[in-house]
Amino acid sequence: MKMKKLRVDVQAFLFLLPFLVVYFLFTIWPMIKGVEMSFYKWTLIKKMKYVGLGNYERMFHDQDFWASIWHSTIFVIITTPLMIILAIILALIANRNSKLQRFYRSVFFIPSILSVAVASFLGLFVFQPYTGLINSLLHWVKLLPESSEIFWLSETNLAWIAISLLTLWWTVGFNFILYLSAMQDVPDEVYEAARLDGASDSQVFWKITLPLLSPITKTITMLQIIASFKVFMQIYVMTGGGPLDETRPVIQLIWQTGFRKNDLGYASAMSYMLFVILLVLSGLQYWMNNRKEVD
Amino acid sequence: MKKSFGIMLALLFSFSVILSACGGSNNGNSGSNNGAAGTNDGTTGQNNESASNGDGEKVTLSFWTLFSGGDGDNMQAMIDSFNKEHPNIQVKNTKLEWGEYYTKLITAVGNGNGPDVGISHISRLPDLINQGVVSELDDVATEAGVDWSTFNQNILEASIVDAAHYAVPIDTHPFIMYYNKKLLKEAGLLDEAGKPIMEQSSDGFITFLTTLKEKLPPKVMPFAMSNTNDDPFRLWWALYSQLGGNDVVSDDLNSAQIDTDKAVQAAQYIQDLYHKYKVIKLNDPDFYKNFQSGTAAIMMTGVWATGTWESTKDLEFGAMPIPKVFDQEATWGDSHTVVLPVTKKEDPAKRKAAITFANWLADNGQVWAKAGHIPSKPSVFEKQEFKDLPYRSDYVSVASTVKFSKASTKNWQIRDLAMFKYLNEVWANKLTPTDGITKMTDEVQKVLNE
Repeated sequence: MKMKKLRVDVQAFLFLLPFLVVYFLFTIWPMIKGVEMSFYKWTLIKKMKYVGLGNYERMFHDQDFWASIWHSTIFVIITTPLMIILAIILALIANRNSKLQRFYRSVFFIPSILSVAVASFLGLFVFQPYTGLINSLLHWVKLLPESSEIFWLSETNLAWIAISLLTLWWTVGFNFILYLSAMQDVPDEVYEAARLDGASDSQVFWKITLPLLSPITKTITMLQIIASFKVFMQIYVMTGGGPLDETRPVIQLIWQTGFRKNDLGYASAMSYMLFVILLVLSGLQYWMNNRKEVD
Repeated sequence: MKKSFGIMLALLFSFSVILSACGGSNNGNSGSNNGAAGTNDGTTGQNNESASNGDGEKVTLSFWTLFSGGDGDNMQAMIDSFNKEHPNIQVKNTKLEWGEYYTKLITAVGNGNGPDVGISHISRLPDLINQGVVSELDDVATEAGVDWSTFNQNILEASIVDAAHYAVPIDTHPFIMYYNKKLLKEAGLLDEAGKPIMEQSSDGFITFLTTLKEKLPPKVMPFAMSNTNDDPFRLWWALYSQLGGNDVVSDDLNSAQIDTDKAVQAAQYIQDLYHKYKVIKLNDPDFYKNFQSGTAAIMMTGVWATGTWESTKDLEFGAMPIPKVFDQEATWGDSHTVVLPVTKKEDPAKRKAAITFANWLADNGQVWAKAGHIPSKPSVFEKQEFKDLPYRSDYVSVASTVKFSKASTKNWQIRDLAMFKYLNEVWANKLTPTDGITKMTDEVQKVLNE
């Protein structure tokens, strides 16, 4: 009996081995190497010298770093609630109209299959002055005089709006699909019972649908915060982090430090700081969710 | 879990889309590469025969380039004819994406897997030397009989670091001015010889532009220019140099040393073009296209645009050095050079072959000039093949007035991370030239300190 179990274990291990090798080589090992790097002055070519906690110390005095952390945070604050509210609204629309459900599902989801590069360039074309879609529309409906232009991507506040709208359009489809499937899991009997008791549409939504969606909402919130913190490419394409680095997210700073300034050590230290921030945020959220459930 | 799996999938998907997109363009390249490789193989076949006839040992060189489009085709054509002329040296071209070229070169050389021959911008050279990526080539150049005096001395000097030669320049690609002949004629600003009628002074250039604005229909902009980053920076650098401004770093390369008054004056002049005289379309996302489609009278950019304008139907244009707005002629420019990366095991035969190849590229600049670049050897200007190319002769003199950056290892960082940042705000009229230059100085210093 024992022998048999051992054999099964060995077999399982053998089957897992290829994955484990790849996983170790491309995920675990770089992570360990990254920690090592963060303690050195390390260029693209070689490690130069041990600096201990020097990189971390430098980070605490580096205004650019904290500014870029703040920019990523702004993005999280703007987009996360919208990502959830809009996804619920879209899911409600699709869920209500069962004939057009298939249509809605593809319309809302299709943007998410675009690559980040394609989506970002679309954003650039939509928001650019003179020939961009938004300004042309505004001219067309006479909201904007023919002789003036809105420079969406050159003003910090407008740039955040443009970047957020683009990201919303591009990625909300995923949350929408998750919500839609969660809504479809709610048994019809619950709704029927509510109707018999004379509940209005809004009562049904606030008292039944929304509470039943709360587990998926928690999951989506957490994943959305992490995903939004990692924003980079669409900002890089649309504003380059400008004006005056005021939209530069932390990932862009890390990339610039590593590959433009040739300082992989400091870049690794910043990456680990970001990692810790995300870890703390997820931990906090996990703790809050658990506490509520105990209550 | 499901969601994170979804994210994983999305990431994978987007990666694969990006990769395949790159692959797509690569395929385009390798398509022509393959074609070329085909002919290469053909010649290799012959060469093998000639080699077996006792022509000595054959050397194969791997050559990494960052050229795409017309540049890429011209370089491949040059490599093909070099290979034909030199049965004993075969150069194999690997085209890398511009954006990742330097990172790949540096890491590959660091791992000992670098190429035998590479390309470097002259402004990037000090950084590559400092990192131990490229090797000094005085000895091998002497051995191969390279005559440094045959090069344009202004370009050559910029390639000398710490009194040693590290690179063979093959061109310079300066910032010049293009003009639309039809529009200038319409405004009465074109002389019989097809040159602009303009007084070469600070007022003269502005009068020229404001006259264009008055005389041409309102939808035509006098001056097509971007609002951010490279091209307005190049114009600023040119005007700052015309005023006698001496780079932005000190001679010992350790501190920011901007000639504030001159820098401000140059910045003010350009800011006025945007905001006071309104001769540049604000935040123009498509300034190349506007000149190309004839909705802008002049534009300024690097000489690489010549090839593009030439292949544009119905565009009657002229090319000339940028006007002498201030005291002395000067412009921005960079240069492509051939370098010998450091290799694990130094092979003298390969190094000699490589330097022979580099020198040959410089000697045959008439092919390279097709894209618009100015060859690094003045002797090329005398070749009939070069003279037959239009426009180039109008601006070859610029090669001697290009103001190269000092040999700082941080040239690109200073430009990308410090100078663009504040100059962009000056062009957007959000900072005064004085504030912009002051803040820029601090930022340059910061980059140098890091």
